Amino acid sequence: MQQLSSRSTFKKKLAFTALLLFILHYFLPFFLARENRISSEISCGMTTLGLMFTLLLSLPPLLLLLYAFIKSEWLSEILLSLAGTLGLLLPFVVLATVGPNVVTELGPFARYSPTSGMYVYLIAVVVIFLMKPRMRIYDYVGLLVVLAVVVYVGSQGSYSQLGIFMEAKNFGSRLSREVLAHIRITAISLAISIVIGLPLALFSYQSQRLRKLVFPLLNILQTIPGIALFGLLIAPLAALSQAFPQLRAWGIKGIGNTPAIIALSMYALYPIIRYSFTAFTSLDEDVILAARGMGMNSRQIWFTVRFPLAMAGVLHGIRVALVQTIGNATLAKLIGGDGLGVLVFEGLGQASVDMVMLGMLLIIALTVAADRIFQVLINFFTPIPLRGKEALHD
Amino acid sequence: MAELRTHPQIPQTHTFLKADNISAHYGDTAALKDLTLHIPANRLTVLIGPSGCGKSTMLRCFNGLVKISAGRIEYEGESIRALSETDLRRSMGYVIQSIGLMPHMTVEENVDLVPRLLGWERASRKERATRLLQLVQLDPEVYLGKYPNELSGGEAQRIGVARALGADPPVLLMDEPFGAVDPLTREQLQNEFIRIQRQLKKTVIFVTHDIDEAIRLADFLVIMKDGQIIQADTPEKILATPANEFVENFLGPNRSLKRLTLFTADHCMVEAISGTDANAKAYLEPETPGCYWKVDPKGIPLSGFAWVQGKIIERPINNSGHTVQKYSSLRECMSNILSLGLPSAAVVDEKGRLCGEVRFETIQKISIS
Repeated sequence: MQQLSSRSTFKKKLAFTALLLFILHYFLPFFLARENRISSEISCGMTTLGLMFTLLLSLPPLLLLLYAFIKSEWLSEILLSLAGTLGLLLPFVVLATVGPNVVTELGPFARYSPTSGMYVYLIAVVVIFLMKPRMRIYDYVGLLVVLAVVVYVGSQGSYSQLGIFMEAKNFGSRLSREVLAHIRITAISLAISIVIGLPLALFSYQSQRLRKLVFPLLNILQTIPGIALFGLLIAPLAALSQAFPQLRAWGIKGIGNTPAIIALSMYALYPIIRYSFTAFTSLDEDVILAARGMGMNSRQIWFTVRFPLAMAGVLHGIRVALVQTIGNATLAKLIGGDGLGVLVFEGLGQASVDMVMLGMLLIIALTVAADRIFQVLINFFTPIPLRGKEALHD
Repeated sequence: MAELRTHPQIPQTHTFLKADNISAHYGDTAALKDLTLHIPANRLTVLIGPSGCGKSTMLRCFNGLVKISAGRIEYEGESIRALSETDLRRSMGYVIQSIGLMPHMTVEENVDLVPRLLGWERASRKERATRLLQLVQLDPEVYLGKYPNELSGGEAQRIGVARALGADPPVLLMDEPFGAVDPLTREQLQNEFIRIQRQLKKTVIFVTHDIDEAIRLADFLVIMKDGQIIQADTPEKILATPANEFVENFLGPNRSLKRLTLFTADHCMVEAISGTDANAKAYLEPETPGCYWKVDPKGIPLSGFAWVQGKIIERPINNSGHTVQKYSSLRECMSNILSLGLPSAAVVDEKGRLCGEVRFETIQKISIS
């Protein structure tokens, strides 16, 4: 019975899904090779990989099959970890070994990039990790080993012909400039929306009349599609910079980063005001009553009760706004702005999947990093007894 | 039985907290209508009435949380309008039903909140917090560093009382403080509060909707309805002569039984006969109206013996429900006597040691007096 309950039907479904994905990957190309960045692609599947590598890649699904027959609790968990870690490591190793071999025959500008088969394979690996009840120390050690091996293989030059690295090389110093521009656009937009949003949230909390004005407006703003809002700002800003040439010197004009920053901060207002407002209204009224009843004046109630208790919720709103803004900042390129959108949209224009991929991966990395940093910050500002309750704000 | 009185006559002349002809409104509805109430000093005044009668509003008028629209509230000879709102509130402890402990502060920070507002020294604050926790019988070593979310309902309520007593205010305002805890914990908290109040003799205004709690705690009982006072007197007088049908209905059918809640065990108990052996006959003369209690070496009662119809009977005492405490009401004693089938109830101290017994004949005398 113990065994039955510990291996729930949910886990069985996950295992089944992972196996299906593994099987599916055999029928898809594992990576693509091109003579140059825009020439047509050559799909490389099982036949290109050869028997040995195909068998090697079949190790994790075999371990997963074995897992189904193991009764021992700890052994089956180790088996899962092994399958997951190998599943993460093998595709990168195989890619680094087979990829360059294929590409060298195609000439100096040839490149290769992972495609559907490898992605499906990696998703199956993620599903394996989801089956684990918790991440253990040896899992983290395994991940570190994978990272170390991949970095080592990379340092030997095996990935230098990988599509996204070729693209990154082409961009050169422009790449870091666009990353910094992306960060700058996000930071300025977020700062503006915090400066406007927090006071608005506070005043809405205090005044019913303002509340009735602010929230309907926010809701309307939120329903305008991003690109439309960007476009809407072009005309008034262009007119403004015509009328006051001084503004133009400061970079305020119809196209470029300014309208993008304005639009992005308008979007970020919604989560910031919503979350902060909720953080203040969901404060326990009895705590406030007790504070008043004990003779705290209103300044003391704000600074020792309301602010500390609402802080986590407010930061949570800023975090949501931040993640959202990093993503939306990609659109800045559409009205002549900078940022990683340049890579994505130029890549789309040139039909270069690798370039789009490079942009997307960098945006994802930025988002994840910002999110992590903010979680640490939120935890730091949350009063000790209230920690670990972030789910309440979601 | 004059010596058994636990509720002294109220010295109506001595008061420093008075409300004269006050009215209060919530929007257009009148919550209090031209009401006059003088709070006796160093006594416990209970405001009771059906919900919506204005008892909580009345309480909040005293510390200015509700503004009166007419009349005058006087505190130590001055109108409270002349006093600073925060100073007024800091001189009155305040306990509410939901307690309202600051969730982000430790027990210590909660308890020394008012002293901190008053600018006390750190050392004296720490000492005060320790003393207050001892007063509400929570170990300071264990509890000072805890956060409110680690406390049970009863513990939190005790901390609430300790916080209200923080700066040793002369007045304590309590708004249904024991309303949100289970009946067993409530009775315990009441017992403890009686002990604390006998020790500190604060001027307490206590709001409740529980008539048993009211009769138990009150020195002075104020029955309210629709923003007006229907009757205000000692609970004995109110039980004996209800002013009208409303009060009579409010007190409920078994008034003589309710009267028993007026008295606490320590005022009626007599010395108990006890020993560590089970040879009850040697200690207990036939037809004694009390019991012989077999105790362990520490003095904790193990079983009770008594003569019933010419025979010695024995009743084992297995749990704390089989004994009563010093500040238990006579009603609890009576229920204990009936459930164990002995002629008296064993009274134990805080450590569970036998310290006396309350006999059925005493209860009988009181109820007919």
